Amino acid sequence: MNAKKIIALIMALAMLTFVFCGCAKKDNAPVSSSDLAEQTPPAEEQTPDEGEPADTSVSVIDMLGREVTLDEPASRIVALTAADCEIIYALGAGDLLVGRGAYCDYPPEVLELPSVESGYDTNIEQIIDLEPQVLFMSTMAQSEEQSKQLEDAGVHVVMNDAQNIEGVYSSIGMIGQLLGKQAEADALIADMKAKFDDLKNKADGEGKTVYFEVSPLQYGLWTAGTDTFMNEIADMLGLVNIFADVTGWGEVSEEQVIDRNPDYIVTISMYFGEGPTPIEEIMSRPGWENVTAVKNGAILNLQNDELSRPSPRLAEGAQMLYDFINEAK
Amino acid sequence: MAQIPHKRKEGLYVLEYLAFLAVTPAVFFLCVCVGSVKVPLGDTVRLILDAIRGSDISGIKFASIIVSVRIPRVLSAALVGASLSLCGAGMQGLLKNPLADGSTLGVSSAASLGAVIAIAFGITVPFLPFAGTMIMAILFAFLGLLIILSLAYKLDSSLSTNTIILIGVIFSMFVSSITSLVITFASDKIKHITFWTMGSLQGNNYTHVLILCGALVIFGGVILLHARELNAFAVGEDNARNIGVNVRRVRLTILICVSALIGVCVSIGGTIAFVGLVTPHMTRIIVGPNHKKLLPVSVFAGAIFLMLSDLAARILLNPLELPIGVVTSMIGSVVFIYIFITGRRKGK
Repeated sequence: MNAKKIIALIMALAMLTFVFCGCAKKDNAPVSSSDLAEQTPPAEEQTPDEGEPADTSVSVIDMLGREVTLDEPASRIVALTAADCEIIYALGAGDLLVGRGAYCDYPPEVLELPSVESGYDTNIEQIIDLEPQVLFMSTMAQSEEQSKQLEDAGVHVVMNDAQNIEGVYSSIGMIGQLLGKQAEADALIADMKAKFDDLKNKADGEGKTVYFEVSPLQYGLWTAGTDTFMNEIADMLGLVNIFADVTGWGEVSEEQVIDRNPDYIVTISMYFGEGPTPIEEIMSRPGWENVTAVKNGAILNLQNDELSRPSPRLAEGAQMLYDFINEAK
Repeated sequence: MAQIPHKRKEGLYVLEYLAFLAVTPAVFFLCVCVGSVKVPLGDTVRLILDAIRGSDISGIKFASIIVSVRIPRVLSAALVGASLSLCGAGMQGLLKNPLADGSTLGVSSAASLGAVIAIAFGITVPFLPFAGTMIMAILFAFLGLLIILSLAYKLDSSLSTNTIILIGVIFSMFVSSITSLVITFASDKIKHITFWTMGSLQGNNYTHVLILCGALVIFGGVILLHARELNAFAVGEDNARNIGVNVRRVRLTILICVSALIGVCVSIGGTIAFVGLVTPHMTRIIVGPNHKKLLPVSVFAGAIFLMLSDLAARILLNPLELPIGVVTSMIGSVVFIYIFITGRRKGK
């Protein structure tokens, strides 16, 4: 009987852990916390005085508000997030990368670099082994201990986690400074701003509604609400996100999508080359035939994270959405 | 724990049975009428009647919501709940173990491993979009059950509660770790797999309902037909053998049916924990341990339990959806511990 009791206790504990693990895993889901978005420190303020050749040191304040100072612009870097990799390549500094996070996939050259674990699985040993001077990582799931271990090994840790377009400009500026690519960064920011301004001026969504679909129906409908890039760009183009009452990313009910009846649907589902494409799949959903977007076939499939990643390609994504709406008109 | 009361009158059983028969459609109707989008009750009734009569209701927005989205979903919830609950009741009887269930024994984890492998390596059956995951889920559920039971036999041929549960937990963790491993290797499909493992009854259409219904009728029917044998097992395996039950054949039949049902449910609704564990217990409290009553009533109780859990998942955070596993696990954990505490008191 005693053994039974002990096992009963173990069982109950195991079940509880299971339940809690389940909850913790849910946090893994793409739920953006709005409080991260609050601080986007002005990175461009501490521009080093280029007139004095003696002082080559660069200093920035990262997105956790920590000051990072280098004696000279970095020449060996590792970037864990896909967005940072994109920015570094867009600044023409891809050759400075000595490693990348496992999920970095753009531009294609980045795949040739040694890959290290990122996010919750960040592996400190792998990173130290690559001997970078600077490591760019996101604030998600990084513990104080982890960054201290890295600092002790001589790696400067820069936290970068842009939550809106303004934040993308800051992170481009910050990375540009640390890599000694200030001019390129300014040009890239100016270019993005020009593209967005141009779209803003000529776009007139006429208050039409759009529904952003992050995952296909069979896995539950995940959408992007306020505080996401998709929402920000919809606003810019004069469109109304039908789930503006949802904060961040969330699973919404199918009935609500049909009821709110979007004029346009943008899906970022990937297509693996078999079965119906994401657009065909949406068109064939029972009960959706009365949704305006489905009736008019006004569905856009963005497969390459153009609108979901804080990278310079956001401008391209916005352009694609603009072209799509103009065509659908 | 295995005494079968002969005192209870059969008449009472009929009444209880009728009560469950009446409550189930009532709950079904409630779940169809209430949802994240408010549809006036009159419209709902009229639409359903029109749809049954076969009149043309295309073009009406509420028609899409009620007929194409909500009804198939509520039906799937009912059928998944009924199947999982029946599996739980069957396994608890077969193994003489009040804690046996697809989720505690690791059968559900095994089924989802099968489905994850199917997604990760792109195993599909041409022209049948979901068949790949479903077949793999059933196969792995059965393999999982075989492994758990043969290990348990090896260690303890009397298949005691402790051994089976312990092995089930260990097996469940082992399988979960393999699932994580597979996910690591298939990083390009990680998004698909992550969303899949969360499980969702969203997007179920009448095809899914038909598949679930067929599975419940065939495999559930076989389990129901073995109520007498399960009663014999409840007294003891030797007892069953002595009164002429073909122990080996019955056990294999029930195990195959259970894994098939769990496999189908997991491949359509993801892993939904605790339904199979909790509802047979609640049912047992109401109708007693005789499997002739327990099994059919569990079917209805499971359907009611999951329909109501799904209703909560649909409307609590409107317009957001709550994962249904969260609702069932919350209720399930509390009931699970309650059963332990009361069960221990009785044991003293």
